[in-house]
Amino acid sequence: MTANLTQQIRDRARDLLQSGTVSCFIAWEPARFEHWRTPVTIESPDEVDRIVVDEWCDQLIAKYALQRRGDGRIGMVARGCESRAVERLVADRQVSRQDVYLVGVGCTGMLDRDGGAPLKKCEECQRRNPVTYDEMVGETVEEPRPYRFGEVDRIESMEPEQRRAFFDRMFSQCAMCFACRNVCPACNCRSCFADAERVGWLEKDFGLDASRYWGLMRAFHTGDRCIECGECERACPMGLPLMTLMHKQVRDIDRLFGPYEGGGLSDAGPDPLRSYRTDDVEEFM
Amino acid sequence: MIIDKRDICALLDAIGRDEQVYVPGSVAGVTQFVEHEPGVEPLLDVRTTKVPPKELLFPKAERLYRWKTHEGHLSIEQADVASRPFTVFGMRPCDVASVERLDQVFLTKGYVDEFYQARRQAATLVALACERTDPTCFCDSMGGSPTRAPGADVVLRDRGDSYRAQAQTERGQRALDAWRAAAPDAVRDDEPGEAPDAGDDARVTCSLTVDMDGVAQAMPGLYESPMWDDIADTCVTCGTCTFVCPTCYCFDISQDTRAAEGSRYRCWDSCMFVTYTQMAGGHNPRADKAPRVRQRFMHKLSYFFDRYGENLCVGCGRCIADCPAGVDITRVIDRVGAEAAAMRGEVAVDG
Ligand code: SF4
Ligand code: SF4
Ligand code: SF4
Repeated sequence: MTANLTQQIRDRARDLLQSGTVSCFIAWEPARFEHWRTPVTIESPDEVDRIVVDEWCDQLIAKYALQRRGDGRIGMVARGCESRAVERLVADRQVSRQDVYLVGVGCTGMLDRDGGAPLKKCEECQRRNPVTYDEMVGETVEEPRPYRFGEVDRIESMEPEQRRAFFDRMFSQCAMCFACRNVCPACNCRSCFADAERVGWLEKDFGLDASRYWGLMRAFHTGDRCIECGECERACPMGLPLMTLMHKQVRDIDRLFGPYEGGGLSDAGPDPLRSYRTDDVEEFM
Repeated sequence: MIIDKRDICALLDAIGRDEQVYVPGSVAGVTQFVEHEPGVEPLLDVRTTKVPPKELLFPKAERLYRWKTHEGHLSIEQADVASRPFTVFGMRPCDVASVERLDQVFLTKGYVDEFYQARRQAATLVALACERTDPTCFCDSMGGSPTRAPGADVVLRDRGDSYRAQAQTERGQRALDAWRAAAPDAVRDDEPGEAPDAGDDARVTCSLTVDMDGVAQAMPGLYESPMWDDIADTCVTCGTCTFVCPTCYCFDISQDTRAAEGSRYRCWDSCMFVTYTQMAGGHNPRADKAPRVRQRFMHKLSYFFDRYGENLCVGCGRCIADCPAGVDITRVIDRVGAEAAAMRGEVAVDG
């Protein structure tokens, strides 16, 4: 990311707010500690100097658009992941494309605020440049398209008991905090099955059955809509390797119905797990 | 009493023969209090564990009673409240302070929670004073201190190659006597003439500080402040901050219902969840994010203070470190201070 990116984005945000093109602009601002960032929604052109856009902006901000629906056009910085998240929200009929104004930036990956190591989600990123935008700031960047199925390979090669133990251990640490859901751009249901307490789909006893069930239901429910942003895994306070399940599904869909990239890249579909065709392969039936 | 660091494991092995001992450890990369296993070194260099020790006294889920119907007869079986003695070894001063907060809630003002009380009375708390602090620690702004843990039965202080253990209660004195008897080779007496060490607030301090002066008094006046909307703009209302917090104690009562039998249990709940205030008729007084965010900070910094004269935050910094959205209670406190100052300014101008 270029050194003056912050300034360029501030300038664009100010213009967009001043001209009334957007009603608010979503970006990041510095938090208390050096290299710590927090999402911010700016409403006034006088406030744009709070914005910072650099290699420490670890949160995915696209989903914040949902809470601004109906307020006029929503401006935001769009890296590859934000742009794909917006495509997801559009495909899921949560926003229309005209509701958002994307200031695209090519991204070379974010760094861990505490040690400076590249974030795992960024090391696995397939789309560093926005797939959709209304204007670009700065140059596009190279797309290295790293191999992202290493963990899937490792787990697939395990014996069934070993694999079971791996996932039991993983889910046993789940805090049932739902951070993974709340940050996920594909988790955009107005009310979640996990919150349907009167029905009681999800036991509240924090047991392994509940956390395993939660983890699998979340994964399946977002299976063909996951955009592989890796935000669930980043947000998980307990460090669960949640992308193992998401990547596994993406690769299976690619093999069965491909070519396919997580969540698709536009709202044109296909949504492999939710489309119905009479000439479907259905090998597994 | 002095314990050489290389003998810590032997001491824990010995204590563990008579009762359960919980120590800082790690499971699947998550630091937390785990039952000491013979020969396994505890992670005493970790300052705040990711998961606080709270659940040893107040489990995430706890059965209250079971019920059964048989040929039209209903029978209820009360859950056993008794708890066997156990030791929590290596609690940081902020976590000990959090137990004092939980004690207020579960044992005072005419309410005694039998389940909590049974565990609390069975517990020996062994604190480990901090020689260093993390960037997110701010206990000394919240009435605590890295070097003191007045609520602990025993406090350990790091002396380089060894720890010095001092009893602070009768239970603590009994614990030291038991350690001496169980592991005479792992412990030795203090050097002759060594004075008791009460801790030193000036020696170890937190780099992160907040000014709590007037915060509790200012909070009620900020109930309608737009600041809650601003914070709610960023917060994703997950339950992370409340579940990693050593003092958050809200719970729900739920049930596991099978055909003719079932049980009721209580389980942690979070004020950040939309379901927390969901009412049977469908109304939800805190359906939006902002009132939920406000509730968390009001409870921490105002309501609890009004009832118990202390804040429901001990400055451990866990919620700051783990919030996926970068919401930071110390920035909220700063903001409350600033808003309160502005309000005072306005009053002065108007008056
Ligand atoms: S974010 Fe992690 S700990 Fe929280 S519910 Fe999801 S998997 Fe569990
Ligand atoms: S403050 Fe942070 S950790 Fe707490 S509910 Fe909001 S987003 Fe989750
Ligand atoms: S509110 Fe945050 S800093 Fe305070 S005790 Fe709870 S987790 Fe620790």
